[in-house]
Amino acid sequence: MADVLTYVLHYEGAFNKNSLGAVSEGAARASEIGGECHAVVVGGDDLSDELCQSLGAYGATKVFRAKGAEGLAQPVVDVMAKVVDEHGHNYALFGGGLLGFEIGAGLAARMHAGVTMEVTGVRAEDGKLVAERPILQDSKISVSRYQGDLGIIIGRINAFEIQERDGGSAEVVDVDVEYSDWSNKAKMVQRGEQRGADVDIEGADILVAGGRGLGKAENFKLAEELAGAFGGNSAVAATRAVVDAGWYPYAAQIGQTGKTVAPKLYLAAGISGAIQHKVGMQTSENIVAINKDAGAPIFEFSDLGIVGDLNKILPKLTEAIKTKKGG
Amino acid sequence: MASHNGSAPAPAESPPPVDSVREFVKQGLDSEDERIDVGVVIVGGGTAGLACANRLLQLLGDDSELMESLGEVPVAIIEKAKTCGGHNLSGAVMRPGPLQELFPDMTREDWRKERFAFGEVKKEAVYMLPNGKAKLRIPTPPPFKNHGNEVISVSSLARYQQRMAEEGGAYVLTETSATQLIVEDGRVLGVRSGDKGRGKDGEPLSNFEPGTDIGAKVTVLAEGCWGHLTGAAIKEFGLAENREPQVWELGVKELWKVPKPLDRVIHTIGPWPLRVASKYGQIGGTWLYPMKDEKSGDDLVSIGFVIDLDYRDATTSAHDLLQLFKTHPFVKEILDGGERVGWGAKALPGGGYWSMPKLTMPGALLVGDSAGMVDTVSLKGVHHCIKSGFLSAEAIYKSLKGGESLESYEQAVENSSIGKELYQVRNTRQPFSKGFIQGAPVVNLAIATKGKIPGGRLEWHRNDEEPMFIGDTRERYPKPDGKYIFDKLSSVYISGNATRDDAPNHIRVQKEVPREIAETWEWMCPAGVYEIPDDAPESGPVDVIVNYTNCVQCGAITAKGGRLTPPEGGDGPLYTLT
Repeated sequence: MADVLTYVLHYEGAFNKNSLGAVSEGAARASEIGGECHAVVVGGDDLSDELCQSLGAYGATKVFRAKGAEGLAQPVVDVMAKVVDEHGHNYALFGGGLLGFEIGAGLAARMHAGVTMEVTGVRAEDGKLVAERPILQDSKISVSRYQGDLGIIIGRINAFEIQERDGGSAEVVDVDVEYSDWSNKAKMVQRGEQRGADVDIEGADILVAGGRGLGKAENFKLAEELAGAFGGNSAVAATRAVVDAGWYPYAAQIGQTGKTVAPKLYLAAGISGAIQHKVGMQTSENIVAINKDAGAPIFEFSDLGIVGDLNKILPKLTEAIKTKKGG
Repeated sequence: MASHNGSAPAPAESPPPVDSVREFVKQGLDSEDERIDVGVVIVGGGTAGLACANRLLQLLGDDSELMESLGEVPVAIIEKAKTCGGHNLSGAVMRPGPLQELFPDMTREDWRKERFAFGEVKKEAVYMLPNGKAKLRIPTPPPFKNHGNEVISVSSLARYQQRMAEEGGAYVLTETSATQLIVEDGRVLGVRSGDKGRGKDGEPLSNFEPGTDIGAKVTVLAEGCWGHLTGAAIKEFGLAENREPQVWELGVKELWKVPKPLDRVIHTIGPWPLRVASKYGQIGGTWLYPMKDEKSGDDLVSIGFVIDLDYRDATTSAHDLLQLFKTHPFVKEILDGGERVGWGAKALPGGGYWSMPKLTMPGALLVGDSAGMVDTVSLKGVHHCIKSGFLSAEAIYKSLKGGESLESYEQAVENSSIGKELYQVRNTRQPFSKGFIQGAPVVNLAIATKGKIPGGRLEWHRNDEEPMFIGDTRERYPKPDGKYIFDKLSSVYISGNATRDDAPNHIRVQKEVPREIAETWEWMCPAGVYEIPDDAPESGPVDVIVNYTNCVQCGAITAKGGRLTPPEGGDGPLYTLT
């Protein structure tokens, strides 16, 4: 039997998406090696029984709840170290993001455990978990196997898909932790998002992305109108070239040096599709490209390609979607 | 200058907005508690700078008294890449002597086990390519004789040298660029490291870290081609007086993993894929080198194309010419069934003997490519880099020990294989300025007579004085398919390039230039840095878009009207086996 422990971050009564992905992944893999998936939560009174129990829906059977500072790494390291010590978990799994990296690294140092970061896949092999991590600019996959009692797996952001299962409600176990001296030295002063987080690019189901082919900054309104017509969970994204040119904010940048996204629909308007952009969106479920250059590389990995003038196509598309939604 | 076309603009007419002495020379050292003091500071962890460190530490290792007198950090190496070797790229077939002299206990088998050497040259061939289909084997000209030389990777060699330097007690500051040369009363006193964490407009970001003065008894400029501080030092100390201007070449290289090993070193000397007519001004050649990776057992091929940056057709693109070269049937056969595993580009100094600046100034000296020590006739420079590093270390040691001037290094270089070999080929490049057909016989004569004919000193002009026209070379480039023929951006991607998007622009060019110059930059740059907007006028001035985060720091822009300055440390490519 081998159990998997995950950390779940929360904010204002809601769990972080990456964390829920980690729980889902942990539950799926734990079941393959005959174990269970447990979660650690650290925070104040907002961690109600009900909220903690709800992690059962993603496959966690037990939730270890500790009172402590939320959103800081060291207190969580203390909690997780104690839980692992007492319950003998074999793996600790994190959903990615800077906090997960820091906690995972801290736990590895504390427990003398092996750690793999930026993991994109986990699988069971001979009753053990194996982590897969892209290397060399994502051109190859390296495989990490763990020795020792504890293996730490830190996912790449959004690598693990959220899966709701009929796990019912998780058992909540309160943990009393004596924090290390240094753990409470840092205080959360302010919670902020980096550079204009008003657009939730990573969480959008539909992205309308604009490139230099839009011609000028003002034409981004065509993309915005289209995203608006889709409504719901849709947003506008951009390429590095147009962000560099000052047409759109950096927060919306997709690609090697921007964000990595995987929406249900990625509509690329006037984007040539250089590899630097492709690596940020290639796992999108459906890719639709509009470009006036039939030879643009983006057509090689699009599900649907339209060769034509954006200034004509985008407004028509917007109209068509409005009509369909209205009717 | 206007002999080819009265109205054709030359890049020199749009000079880069830069004043290197004023900007890059800092007068006076910061106070003791604000600076870091080291014994010897070496700017650039390439083969030359590290050879200097390796040799110097060998000498200091036997002289603990002197070592201790140099303080806590006897030798510091400043390297702007993520690791030494990260920005190094060469062919490369190396003459083994200087490296054997530097590490006498190592055998060539050891080199291969350390994975910077990939086999001894046993067979070689030189071809002329009349067109894209045929090839003509010619007797190997003496400079191309490579029998017994070793195929190496300079990027890997530098990594190995870094390890040796660190074991010897050197302190290697990676991800750090040196941005200013510190001078006081006519003497170099050290360098200043670059700021980190500045935004697009130079404003300090939340992670801003200012640079620091690094004071040193001796400063070694080992910056490679187009040294940023070397350029400033040459101006500040008048090191290039009575020398010919430096001229440059640009090489683009790919590494291929191949199913069947190549059994020989191959060079082609054109004219294909270049234009032979002198109006294009295109002179260049190619190489194909076999590499056996003893660690993985893989068979690799290094393939590259190098062009003289004196060309006139603005649509000349070294990257695309390499792609074109790959369409030749004999190249296809070699790479057939293989996979591209590496790419990179680097400019190299081509002026040779007459362009070498004076190598020393009070408190500092130049080594390797910074000093232009490349023999572009035989396509070799690595052994000169190592040798010059070695000789510089001995001069530095004597200077630290007995207070002698560094000038003994000048004579040591002149008397060594560097001076001798570069002198022999001193007049072999200039005749090509008349074109390949007219120039080649003179070059052959020079080679055959070991440089005795033509005698004297042949002069030349700066690369950026060549007027440019928009020709049709571009029409020959093959269309990328992403499998065998590659575009620039996917190539930049596999170079491991990572430059922060909101870093300040490190490339100095005029933003509004004649169309011919804009086209020159757009085609020349192997990394797709320069772009002409779709709606730009067909003639007249053009606003160039500079995508500086694509930059792999090859330096070619300096030859054609711009200036590369070091970006924030850690930016740029991360070459591994190039």
